[in-house]
Amino acid sequence: MAYTRKDVSTLTAAERRRFVNAMLEVKRRGEYDEFVRTHIEFYTSDGENGLRTAHMAPSFLPWHRRFLLELERALRRVDDSVTVPYWDWTRDRTATSVPWTKDLLGGNGRRSDQQVMTGPFAYAEGRWTIREGVTDGRFLTRDLGRARDPIELPTRSELDGALNDAVYDVSPWDSTVTRGFRNRLEGWGTGRGSASWRNHNRVHRWVGGAMLGGASVNDPVFWLHHAFVDLQWTRWQRLHRGARYLPEEPPGLGSMQHGRIIARHEKMPPWDVTPRELEDVSGIYRYV
Amino acid sequence: MVTGVGDVAMGGAQTEAGPARPAPGGGTRREMLRGLIAPALALALTPVVVASRSTDTGAADDGGSGGGAFDETYHGRRIQGTPVPGARAYDPEQWQVTVDGRPLHLMRRADGTWLSVVDHYGSYATPLEAARAAVDALGPGEQLREREMAHGGHGGHGGHHHTGGDHGVHA
Repeated sequence: MAYTRKDVSTLTAAERRRFVNAMLEVKRRGEYDEFVRTHIEFYTSDGENGLRTAHMAPSFLPWHRRFLLELERALRRVDDSVTVPYWDWTRDRTATSVPWTKDLLGGNGRRSDQQVMTGPFAYAEGRWTIREGVTDGRFLTRDLGRARDPIELPTRSELDGALNDAVYDVSPWDSTVTRGFRNRLEGWGTGRGSASWRNHNRVHRWVGGAMLGGASVNDPVFWLHHAFVDLQWTRWQRLHRGARYLPEEPPGLGSMQHGRIIARHEKMPPWDVTPRELEDVSGIYRYV
Repeated sequence: MVTGVGDVAMGGAQTEAGPARPAPGGGTRREMLRGLIAPALALALTPVVVASRSTDTGAADDGGSGGGAFDETYHGRRIQGTPVPGARAYDPEQWQVTVDGRPLHLMRRADGTWLSVVDHYGSYATPLEAARAAVDALGPGEQLREREMAHGGHGGHGGHHHTGGDHGVHA
């Protein structure tokens, strides 16, 4: 029986509490920091040699889908009523809207050191100490909207631009492609500065603090953001019936991308699963 | 249809993830914060970059995509960078970059731009720009870790080779 993932703005008070408590318990058990480490470990950039699975690659979407399923399983071991909610950043666009409330993820970081001071993930609460950061900071940091040089969250029309691309991804399957649903959603744009930060990438930048770095998983909003990104894959499949993950076959020996990306039927590290097996998850969960 | 999707544990899910790293002592951190906040705020009001070529790096501008070595103070932070000749033809240019003496891991994008471990969702034309952006991303008083994270280990990045399953051990 498939479970549902809900818009975080629709959660009841009890659902919010149970989600937060399950997150804190996964953290207490030491399982959470393993997710942080895995995300850091699997960030391989496309200007370097080696296999890319999580970013700048076609498997950006299935990799994070599987990553979410792992976190969700850990949460459901604690409380089997819990699922990962999604944050629709095209609707909830301010630093005071959900999920930045005291009963969910807490608010913005304070000006002096970006430290999150409110909600269950505030350092002073004692249950969310950062241990696997890229800095020495022990507390969760945010800089919602980037106070020093403000930026906006991606708009609905920018997201639609990605959804309307009928091709999943194109060669050379990296951060430089200007066509294809995957990179339009992942958000490596052309040009410099703010104009080049799109969709998924832009949301990481808008949240700032921990979310801007390799240890972005330290902010629980990581999962709410990626649940919304994951929902877009499902929407895209509905919009473009029959469209599939690409590439279908691995790049050949003569290709620069040989051995550096995951084709549809190849196993996707660190898991024993292929993109093909993750294209249809309707038997596990659905979005409402 | 979805068999196999849910059966496999996370890679390296061992709970014994190596020896405990020394946690920064509260007093030390507070002292550090006291020492750094004031100059950082002062500089934020007058964002002037005080550039001073180091005399001991000995590296002239190489004209490469990353420019030459740099050593400057930016928003109260000392950022230093030196190109390191790459061992592999594919990646002829690697950089050693530090912020306040601590290593800042840089990665290269396929378009030749650079991103750092603290700013992972955008990229910059040169290592110097990436280092400045890293300073911008750090909170006041926040420092990089003394040691680099195990990072991109599965991409075969230089100096970060791992054995399978040994994820995240960087003690």
